[in-house]
Amino acid sequence: MADAAVPRREDHVSRRRYERERRAREEAETLLEQKSRELYDANIALTMQASELEKSVERRTAELQRAKTEAERANAAKSDFLAMISHEIRTPLNGVLGMATALSETELAADQREMADTILSSGNALLGLLNDILDLAKIEAQQMEIDEVDFDLAALVGDVVRVYSVQARDRGLTFDARVAPEASGPVRGDPTRLRQVMFNLLSNALKFTERGGVTLEVTRQAGLWHLRVRDTGVGVPPDKQARLFKAFSQTDVSVTRNYGGTGLGLAIARRMCRLMGGDLVFAPAPGGGSDFTASVRLHAAAPGHKRPRPQRDEALGVLQARPWRVLVAEDSETNQKVLRLLLRGLGLRLELVSNGERAVERHCHDPFDIILMDVNMPVMDGMEAAGLIRQAECAHGLPRVPIVALTANAMTHQVADYLRQGIDAHVAKPVRKEDLVSVMAELLSDQAA
Amino acid sequence: MKGMVFTELLDMAERVIGEDGVDEVLDSLDLDSGGAYSAVGNYPCRELMQIVGALSDRTGLAGDDLQRQFGGWMLQRFSRSYPQFFADKTCPLQMLDAIDNEVHVEVRKLYPDAELPRFVTEWLGPEHMRMTYRSERPLMAFCHGLIEACMAHFDARARIEVLAAETGKAAVFDIRLER
Repeated sequence: MADAAVPRREDHVSRRRYERERRAREEAETLLEQKSRELYDANIALTMQASELEKSVERRTAELQRAKTEAERANAAKSDFLAMISHEIRTPLNGVLGMATALSETELAADQREMADTILSSGNALLGLLNDILDLAKIEAQQMEIDEVDFDLAALVGDVVRVYSVQARDRGLTFDARVAPEASGPVRGDPTRLRQVMFNLLSNALKFTERGGVTLEVTRQAGLWHLRVRDTGVGVPPDKQARLFKAFSQTDVSVTRNYGGTGLGLAIARRMCRLMGGDLVFAPAPGGGSDFTASVRLHAAAPGHKRPRPQRDEALGVLQARPWRVLVAEDSETNQKVLRLLLRGLGLRLELVSNGERAVERHCHDPFDIILMDVNMPVMDGMEAAGLIRQAECAHGLPRVPIVALTANAMTHQVADYLRQGIDAHVAKPVRKEDLVSVMAELLSDQAA
Repeated sequence: MKGMVFTELLDMAERVIGEDGVDEVLDSLDLDSGGAYSAVGNYPCRELMQIVGALSDRTGLAGDDLQRQFGGWMLQRFSRSYPQFFADKTCPLQMLDAIDNEVHVEVRKLYPDAELPRFVTEWLGPEHMRMTYRSERPLMAFCHGLIEACMAHFDARARIEVLAAETGKAAVFDIRLER
């Protein structure tokens, strides 16, 4: 009976085997649930970790952003401070230089002349330093602007060469300048900045050269003008070359001690070259010495190229051609005195007023040949006065009087504004006699002819 | 539908009609799964309803009664396999309240694809709850059995009233504990 109940092997499994299989299935199910749960937990942990990381990256980024903003703000504050303090120093320096210039034009004993010359040269050196600092501050504040005016490159280089030939000869050095013929004729760019770059490279070359000489080469390559200055001086040690163009970092403190300077020149010159579409690079000259190449992009001159500024003698000739009536609007007594002294001996008839309103009144009452107008004045500033004068001219059909702005903060973008507001030209303070005479002569030359 | 519901239904059926009876029921049906279920798998609800129908025919027990009995079986099974859900509850209403808020939360962690019924509870007093059951499946009677077994698990007596029921997929249970 029991035997008959035993199932055949092929279609039955034993109870023990069935229970084992069933237990195995249930264990597999339990295991799977456990693993799923672990996987879930691991996933949650990873998700949380990822979100924590994300948060800490965000936090860190915000911290860095804050630090960067703070650093930029501090740097901007430093630049503003430098600009402000330089500007503040320039104003009294204006008086010093003006008076020294006037003094040196009087009858002086030899030792007195030497003293006056020393005051002038020291003052000019100080002015140069202030200008460097202002330039750097402007560059850092991204307010450095590049002028677009027509000029003759060969003539500009010629002026520079004349200055440095004398210096080289005085120091027993050779100075060789080679200028490509196509540099003659008008081009469009910023001659002031270009002159500043050349001055910097040539003064450095002469300063660091004891024997041999300096060469200047002006060529045109691939649409860029290259100004290459080589010398046979001490050169730059390889480990110092990387810092050459960094502001406030002369390669060695001993350089400052032995050669002077602020360590700003090359940094400024390079930034100017870059703003002019080129660059300033250094290479060691074979056999010692330095080899700097400045490149700049200059455009074709605008049609109807403006006549270049009259040369010094020519300019004096224009101013002396007749007793021009000159109205000076300037509130600072010192500056009034400086202008009076600078323009002395030219036979001009100067009239001085101390604000814009008086200038408008005086000119409308009895028109002048030219007006020198300070920009910042009490009661009515120079710009407003210029505007009113232009209106009055239109209303009464008067001839247009040339107005020269005397600007303490000669920033290019402000100058552009002045020119739009009825100003014909500007002269930066501290006013240099040559600049003032040349600008006035240019504006008066049509009437003089 | 989770495989565990199938394996438990067949376990319960085995108690009533024996292994051979269950085999015969499964053999009599045309099931895609062939009647082989794993607790962690997913199977069509249609197969559950087929099995419930066949078991009802075989036992002479009405389908709803069978579901209700199965609800009770499942609660016991849950209390054995997942005692942690029951451990901190002192009253069956708390347990019912925890189905949506605790149990199903955990289920979704293991089986993100699980299609779970909703058990929305509303306390009408400390010992009075209204629970709304809503499901894709007509298992209202199963839910009823689950509630009854939950009372028994906590040694509680309660008056359970079905206030509204439509097509077995939704119902409102009014549950009042009795001292």
